[in-house]
Amino acid sequence: MVPFILGGGRNIVDWLDIMLREAGHDVERIYLPHVDSPELLFRQMAAYRWVDLASSTDLIVTFRPPAHLIPHPRKVIWFIHHIRAFYDLWNTAYAKSPDTLVHRGIRDALHAADTAALKEARAVFTNSQVVADRLRRFNDIEGEVLYPPIYRPERFRFGSLGNEIASVSRIVRHKRPGLLIDALRFTRTDVKLHLYGASDSSSHATELRRRFKDAGVDDKVTIDDRWISEEEKASVLADCLALAYVPLDEDSYGYPTLEAAHASKPTLTTTDSGGVLEFVEDGVTGLVVEPRPEALAAAMDRLFMEREATRRLGEAARARIDEMRITWPHVLDRLLA
Amino acid sequence: MKVLIVNNMVPFSWGGAEELAVHLEAALIKAGHEAEVLRIPFQTDPWMRIPSQMLLVHALELHNVDRVIALKFPAYLIRHPQKTLWLLHQYRQAYDLSDAGMSDIHLGKQAADLRRVIATADEEAFRSSRRIFVISEITQARLAKNNRVDAEVLRPPLNNPELFGGGTSDGYVFAGGRINAMKRQHLLVEALASTPGTVRLVIAGPPDAPKDGERLRRLVESHDLSHRVTLDLRFLPRRELAEYVNHATAVACLPYDEDSLSYVAMEASAAGKPLITTSDSGGVLGLARHLETAWVAAPDAASLAEGLSRLGTESSASLRMGAAARELWTSMELTWPDSVERLLA
Amino acid sequence: MRLLIFSPMTAASAIGRASGLVARSLIDQGHDVVVVRSEDLLHLDTTPRDLGVPVIRWDDEPEVQKAVRSADAVVYHVGDNYDLHRGCLEWLPRCPGIVCLHDYFLGDLFLRWAHGDRPRAISVLRSWYGDQVAGRYFSFEKPAAFVQNTAATAPMTEWVVAMANGVITHSSWGIARVLRACAGPVRVVPLPYDAPNVTPLSSPSEAAARDGLTVLTVGHVNANKRAESVIRAIGESERLRAGAVYRLIGKVDPAVEAQLAALAQRLGVSLSISGEVNDAELREALDGADIVCCLRLPALEAASASAIEAMLYGKAVIVMDTGFFHEIPGEYVLKVAPATEIPDIRRHLEHLQADPAGRAALGGRAADWAARTFRAETYAQHLAQLAVEVAAAAPALEATRYFAETLVRWGATEPFIPTADLVGPLRIFEA
Repeated sequence: MVPFILGGGRNIVDWLDIMLREAGHDVERIYLPHVDSPELLFRQMAAYRWVDLASSTDLIVTFRPPAHLIPHPRKVIWFIHHIRAFYDLWNTAYAKSPDTLVHRGIRDALHAADTAALKEARAVFTNSQVVADRLRRFNDIEGEVLYPPIYRPERFRFGSLGNEIASVSRIVRHKRPGLLIDALRFTRTDVKLHLYGASDSSSHATELRRRFKDAGVDDKVTIDDRWISEEEKASVLADCLALAYVPLDEDSYGYPTLEAAHASKPTLTTTDSGGVLEFVEDGVTGLVVEPRPEALAAAMDRLFMEREATRRLGEAARARIDEMRITWPHVLDRLLA
Repeated sequence: MKVLIVNNMVPFSWGGAEELAVHLEAALIKAGHEAEVLRIPFQTDPWMRIPSQMLLVHALELHNVDRVIALKFPAYLIRHPQKTLWLLHQYRQAYDLSDAGMSDIHLGKQAADLRRVIATADEEAFRSSRRIFVISEITQARLAKNNRVDAEVLRPPLNNPELFGGGTSDGYVFAGGRINAMKRQHLLVEALASTPGTVRLVIAGPPDAPKDGERLRRLVESHDLSHRVTLDLRFLPRRELAEYVNHATAVACLPYDEDSLSYVAMEASAAGKPLITTSDSGGVLGLARHLETAWVAAPDAASLAEGLSRLGTESSASLRMGAAARELWTSMELTWPDSVERLLA
Repeated sequence: MRLLIFSPMTAASAIGRASGLVARSLIDQGHDVVVVRSEDLLHLDTTPRDLGVPVIRWDDEPEVQKAVRSADAVVYHVGDNYDLHRGCLEWLPRCPGIVCLHDYFLGDLFLRWAHGDRPRAISVLRSWYGDQVAGRYFSFEKPAAFVQNTAATAPMTEWVVAMANGVITHSSWGIARVLRACAGPVRVVPLPYDAPNVTPLSSPSEAAARDGLTVLTVGHVNANKRAESVIRAIGESERLRAGAVYRLIGKVDPAVEAQLAALAQRLGVSLSISGEVNDAELREALDGADIVCCLRLPALEAASASAIEAMLYGKAVIVMDTGFFHEIPGEYVLKVAPATEIPDIRRHLEHLQADPAGRAALGGRAADWAARTFRAETYAQHLAQLAVEVAAAAPALEATRYFAETLVRWGATEPFIPTADLVGPLRIFEA
């Protein structure tokens, strides 16, 4: 972990802690720091190897790397991602490491150590099919997909089918809010878009606002550039038309998708959204279209016009949660098996 | 400022250091900073595992942190350019207790090596720290003797002082805190056997090991004291603990050679309760002054029995000493805002 | 890949000649090479071999730093000679890389290095060989006694290879110590060598037609080279006394020279001692020799350049059946057992004297085999492959060294460090 940064990885840990306690177990959460630096990688990995919990705990569950290196006779790994710069992002613009012999050596050594640590585990789970595929491809390890449920899902319920498509996620570039705004130039109905979420910089939100002013769609879009409370989020999802969630190549289906489904609302996404497609099936639990404004606009109109069908998509999304066993009892059952 | 409090942890074990860390975190946040506690696992058994535990801490990398406040060995070996230490204690097994034959680090070449390694690493960490605070004069003296380091004393303030407002006596002597042989609750039970029947005792807290609780229960039974001793052997929420303190006639606290003032003694004083302690209790004597704020007994049952008799039922003496204890505590002016200010200075 | 190679480059160094061949092959195979001269300061001003690559001096701190930063792999050619390899010792601890280990005995290198810091040297000795060996190590006055007494117990191989991330050595006889001390990958690859202008100056038939028999030994004349044994073997044989000349080429102390000359005279052996010669003279001497004796006791080298060179020249070679020489297949050389040294030498010499055709055939087989075996191309390929393996081993080795250094800084002594509690969990990093 990095101190003072709260991310998805920490949420799932905190929630699992609560669920395990409710099931009557004693739980300790241990967050250890990790700095992303190739030169310091193995020193830090060694430090994790020396974490000794064997005599004080019956079972450990590890999440983000390099926590899976912690040895334990009963180690369960819930694998969320690799150190991606040395895996799927190797040799891409996102990788910090130059493709030199030295860095290839670090990559090969990391792969070998990761594989060995994964093999020590009693069980390896992943949070998505995408990550499970990577584990198979890079480490030759079969991970069981164990989808992380959201916290207290009963908070999300169906209220009404409104006229606004909601987007509930941080307003950052790779979630592509701009793409959604551009789509509204091509809608032909009165469908509206409402973006909720804190932006990573105020300039980004300003730029977005200018973008929809320029596009002449400011009567169709509202931006709430702030962190919204859990209660507010539940009420937004209860009464929206559908959720729009169009990240670029996400690892997992994303909590917004799941929250919408719990509220029996479908998700509109794009063909390049990655893990989101594990949950959203076109015409079944939502709509999946090309990542072009025109295609998104047509889908938005369709959700707005064909309300019966939209309602059915939402119901199917709700049912999909149970089909995919995205529930805490299932999670506890598998982790403790 | 982003302040990381660095502490060690043993899973499922919670004590004074853990409390200090969370209260410091809360006080920092209250003062307008961002704060988090980093708890690094520390396994000392077998003792030859200690070097790996030291290297573990030393190898961890911090980023996105402006200031570190480290509380314990080996947590303070963490590397950070802006590191302040607030030491509860060193790894005493490597220093003073070995002289007294109580160390689990025995003789032999490897043990000698380990002790040298601990001392050298300690001194390296001390040199690389901004400032070094210790929680008591005793720790200060040990640091001066063992490592020739000049540390400032910064006593930890009371956690949740608002809970310990005092109150009317329900007629019992209260002994709270962890239950183990070092804290000598058994001595209290033995002493109680030779005091008038009007004196009652309440012992409340989590036993370190099941056998520690069992031992007390058997002792109470064998002295036939069940009607005069209440054993509430579990981890108590702060509120319940405060209730016990606030309605006690006096508070007993008998650690062996305690480093600090001891939270038990601090809470009792804040609540205006006289103390019953022993002359070998170390830091507790900072608050327990014989016949002024406390009964300081010799560390034996007979002497303690006299203290229990004198202070175990409410009297003008017990009330006077209780008031004096509160006055002494208040005069020390230990508050969280002041502590935060000094730690970040 | 970009390789930075530390090696002596003076013409006087056989290792420099071998490393030069490797460097040229690496370039032919498409790699970039920069050479750092490793000679001690007094020897750095000699003219280097011309390899057509950039050459920098080890004491040029900024240039070496720069080269290290841009290199994919750093290679150190290490042999038992401080004058020639000091630069390796200066940089290896700072920039661990691949060690090409030319000698399994590094006592002289260590002695000179130890001169600068005796306590540090003693602590190195203690950690590898124990208190007893460390206590005696500096007590031998004569070089021969020093070698005799330390070669088996404290050859110092471990000291150098422990600093390496990977090792190439040239024979297997001393490999156990390398494997014990180097946590990175280790390979055995034949030492590359060449025979410039191997087209003989004179043909075998001419040589056979020559009067008499020339027996040659090349290298620093000392007890380890067994010249005395060869003189005695010739001296015992009437036919050899009558027909053979024994020639010694290489550095020689006047005292040793006088002693050998007196012995030869007493036994009636024709002895010619030439001292140091240049490359052309050496080639001529090799060409003019009928038999080359490469006898060593005890064995110290990972491979003997002079034996390889003699084979490449198509000479009949007599070797001691120890170390590197033991690993040469029997059909290419004649071997001398240490226990029956002089009779064996005499027997082989007499046999070769009597059978010029067999002598030529043996030399021919040896030349053919040596040319196939001791190839720079092969060595360069292995080096490049090892560099890839070393890159993957380096991260864990770096971490391990960092922790060991931290513990030493904290005052830990040697046996304390590799405890199971410390090392056990890190075994996962061993590929």
